[in-house]
Amino acid sequence: MKQLSQQSKHILCVPLDPVHDVGIKLINAELQKHGHRTELLSPDLPLEAIVKKAMTTNYDFILVSRTLGYGVAELLARFVDQMDAAGVRDHSKIVIGGKAVSPELAAELGFDKGFDEHASYDSILAYIEGTSGMVEDETRRKVKKNITAGHSYVFHHTEIESLLERIAEKTLRWSDGVSTPGIKRSRLRQGMLKETDKFRFGALQKQYRELCDTEIVDANSEHRFPKGVRFISEMEQTQLSSLLTSHIPKHQGTIQYDRRQPLVFKFLGSGCPMMDIVHGKICERWGIDGFLVINPSWEARYEGLLEGMLTHENDGTITSLENIQLMKRWLDPATLLTIRAHRGLNTAETTLLAGEGGADLTKINLVYGSLGAGTDPERLTADGIESIKIAGQYNMAFDIPGNDELSGVPAWKTLAGLLINVMLGKKLGAKAILKPLFCCGPHIVLNGQMQLNYVDYNAAKILALKEIVDCPVWPGEPIAFMTQTEDRVQSANATSYHAALAASLGVDAITIASTDEAYSRGPICIASRIDSIRAVTDAFRFMGNANITPTPAMLDWKENLIRQITETLRAVALADHLPDAINKGLLGNAADGAYPGTFGKGTVTRNPLQ
Amino acid sequence: MENQSAFNSVLDGLDIETYLVCRDAMEGKHLALQLGKEMNLGDVDIMYEEYDGYGMRVRLRKYIVKPGQTYPWLK
Repeated sequence: MKQLSQQSKHILCVPLDPVHDVGIKLINAELQKHGHRTELLSPDLPLEAIVKKAMTTNYDFILVSRTLGYGVAELLARFVDQMDAAGVRDHSKIVIGGKAVSPELAAELGFDKGFDEHASYDSILAYIEGTSGMVEDETRRKVKKNITAGHSYVFHHTEIESLLERIAEKTLRWSDGVSTPGIKRSRLRQGMLKETDKFRFGALQKQYRELCDTEIVDANSEHRFPKGVRFISEMEQTQLSSLLTSHIPKHQGTIQYDRRQPLVFKFLGSGCPMMDIVHGKICERWGIDGFLVINPSWEARYEGLLEGMLTHENDGTITSLENIQLMKRWLDPATLLTIRAHRGLNTAETTLLAGEGGADLTKINLVYGSLGAGTDPERLTADGIESIKIAGQYNMAFDIPGNDELSGVPAWKTLAGLLINVMLGKKLGAKAILKPLFCCGPHIVLNGQMQLNYVDYNAAKILALKEIVDCPVWPGEPIAFMTQTEDRVQSANATSYHAALAASLGVDAITIASTDEAYSRGPICIASRIDSIRAVTDAFRFMGNANITPTPAMLDWKENLIRQITETLRAVALADHLPDAINKGLLGNAADGAYPGTFGKGTVTRNPLQ
Repeated sequence: MENQSAFNSVLDGLDIETYLVCRDAMEGKHLALQLGKEMNLGDVDIMYEEYDGYGMRVRLRKYIVKPGQTYPWLK
């Protein structure tokens, strides 16, 4: 969009600062690169000498750089007065740039324009070239990224592809004709969302409530909510609107230094959507690309979901349609929003609400959801398949977290589980995103694979997946989990090193923790969120287009992982279907520390005609 | 603005990071909690502490407002 002026400008660059003249030198070089004629004065010249020089030529602009400090405002005012008196302003615009300079202060001191230390070259060039408005708008507006774009989902490993085909076909055959209260509720909700007739809506709602636990019915019909849950008042909504519309940041931060560096996500889920939104807006200002909304753990155990704009005094934000819509309304249109769906008894309906609420992504892992989160494998597989179909209908990609590794499951079993989800996604019309754990997991520690460094095994996992299939990779969740402590600096460092490695490996996105993530006795604070964003921004700047090179051990581990994933999938392919494989411990067993869940056990029903 | 407490503008929590000279970890923890009280913060959480032989590096936190409560900065 930037339109270069046909005519080059003549510019005098003046470093008024006796020490810090790097900024004006860089701007001088940038102006020259864009075809403008510039003259750069030496630093520390007396004002009179500068004015004399300015009088010799009809410069279009005189750019002055100076950091503001005690007494500097008076100096600058004197400078402008002398320029005025000498008639320089009849032909030259005088511009100030530097730390602590604001447009308001520049105007107050008599300058034509002021730029602070955050000003981009583009905005300065735009002003010089007379295209100011267009470029400022462009830099302020972020563009929403599509994580799955550019990936073909083609498998490069033929045996793994054929094993996954067999597992997916068996599983889909098993799921054909099965139903659960979760699937039924999701379909009823779909009807309720479309229904405009009050009586027909009431009939659907009655059926919906018959499939819910009493606690959910009581909450939705009589507003007897679980402890700590309440409606957000209209007054609070108005106050939130007033806060967010009266604070507009002047600068939009960017975490990535190089275009190839991954998108950066954070969790939201304080319990209160208003707090989440305010945290979210501040994180957006610091450059965050997206959020994953985490719901309360109890939500997973109930049949049915709460309705309304609700806040909650404990960990996890209720993912009601109204809450998702509220978050979507206030977050930047370019910010990617993911709603966790795969935990518990409301997987299908949560995916539906995510789609209806305008979320960009959802989170579904049939294996981890059955092993690490306590849901019966048959129930979660049935609900999960419905969810993947819904995700496809709403054009939402779904990410597949490999956090079962945190229970002690070996990486190859977890990665095999992720790949099963990818194949199911392919068959059901939704794009999957691989989310391998990117940290020092328990099985890895026990086996000493991170004894010498944290680089090789993390790299081996990512590169093994990339060698198997062309699918987006988004390590998490969060990166550096288990290596972070409650020490703020250590936590920020651990995150930034892992982010640098992830960027080196060419991943598509990462999820980062805050520097208080390891502190489990209270909610996340905004200052700790900013800590880790700053740390990753610096890591990305440090790495630029350079890469971290793993040691030769990485290649052996990568090959081993591909072999172990293949062996795992061979065993799973012999099972009747995915829930059977999970129940048999083929994707994580008691010895690993993983147990099939029991929530919703016995609730899967089969249509007798099938 | 003049009568408004700065605490009303704290979005969520307040962290204090410092180093306390002490004889052992027990004394360090005791001093950390006492510091919170002397700063009129009441009970503070010790998020992180590490005694190194001379004293203790600590990170303390006081939640001024928690999610789900009424936020003074929203008014």
